[in-house]
Amino acid sequence: MKTFDPVTLATPLFILTIILEIVFSRLGKLKAEYEARDTAVSLGMGLGSTVAGVLFGGVIGATTLWVHQYRLFDIPMTAVWAWVAIFLLEDLTYYWFHRIAHERRFWWASHVNHHTSQHYNLSTALRQTWTGGLAGTWLLWLPLSFLGFPPAMIAIQKGISLVYQYWIHTEAIGRMPRWFEAVFNTPSHHRVHHARNPRYLDKNYAGILIVWDRLFGTFQPELDEEPCRYGVVKNLGTFNILRVAFHEWIAMAQDVIRQPRHALGWMFGPPGWSPDGSRQTSHDLKAEWEARRKAPAELDRAA
Amino acid sequence: MSQGFFIQLAASGAAIGLLIALAAWARIARPIDPLNDAKARALLADEFPGRTLDAVWVAQDGAGALAKSGGLALVVCRLGDGFVARQIPWAQALQASFRDGRLSVDLADVAAPRAVIALPAWPPKELAA
Repeated sequence: MKTFDPVTLATPLFILTIILEIVFSRLGKLKAEYEARDTAVSLGMGLGSTVAGVLFGGVIGATTLWVHQYRLFDIPMTAVWAWVAIFLLEDLTYYWFHRIAHERRFWWASHVNHHTSQHYNLSTALRQTWTGGLAGTWLLWLPLSFLGFPPAMIAIQKGISLVYQYWIHTEAIGRMPRWFEAVFNTPSHHRVHHARNPRYLDKNYAGILIVWDRLFGTFQPELDEEPCRYGVVKNLGTFNILRVAFHEWIAMAQDVIRQPRHALGWMFGPPGWSPDGSRQTSHDLKAEWEARRKAPAELDRAA
Repeated sequence: MSQGFFIQLAASGAAIGLLIALAAWARIARPIDPLNDAKARALLADEFPGRTLDAVWVAQDGAGALAKSGGLALVVCRLGDGFVARQIPWAQALQASFRDGRLSVDLADVAAPRAVIALPAWPPKELAA
């Protein structure tokens, strides 16, 4: 079966739709905000990630092929059931990759790049990491190869997932039909994922199917009364693309060097973890927000 | 890496240049008003919820603010069409360099190395001790 790269095929579509989003926003026909330097960083990160992908691609491809030698089953790339199976299993793998990438600092150091824009538009989708190969999260996909899915089939499905996730990075689309919102990841669900409001932190990790979040307890609908504020808890104070790409790795290394006794905590604790509790994790931020939210109600009851 | 890859890379680079130029031309950044005292306090309350503000100094150009909250300095400064917030020890803020009406605060953070705030004077005489 002939293979293809969905991301390469979709690249002209990426460019065209960004042009349309900018032009229609300029004409006042849809909601989208673009800041030129922010856009430059997002697109530069996207270009850099393709270079990094090529650099790490050899190692990842070779490892996947090596694992495939010891496969449990011979899964045919031409069978419809095999595509249904890989669609579901790859999407489940993506969910757990994405969850780990948010909840453990070592992998967050790589993934944080994607969340550093204070904007949410189609260019944000292309703000991709340069250090995914280094972070090693690609290892999570090896069990699919071990099961017997051909490496090319896994690569194609990963590409399809990435292309799917492109169009949901927009404020131009409000809500999709209810049945669609119930099953699939949508612009509304993913806006929540990119928001820094405490209520929205660490929610909606889905790739294509939002059902994983509903199943594993991480689903949060977008609420009209709480508009999303985009970015990270501590937003970046620079448009320097090298700082954007490597800042969390450098910060983590600085923490480990300063306190090597706590190296494991600094590296594999949740983002915001510190030995003395002087920093805040998303769990702390949510608890603080919840306490503030309840306080007025309790005061009212006391009155 | 193949020649095809470099051609694709060059074409992508050219497309990126076009898109950045288009974004700059469109002028569709988030509308953002300069900070005044009330807006600065609201922003500080958003970024540092629950903190009491002993004093607030707003940049003359409205592009930032610095507040004293106990032993901490709360700093907000504009970046593009958004704001960036950090807290640092108050003593560190007092030591910030001040020249030509610009306070340059070392934020000691690789992700936000420095905040520049236009103020008439620094440090504030009443709080310098």
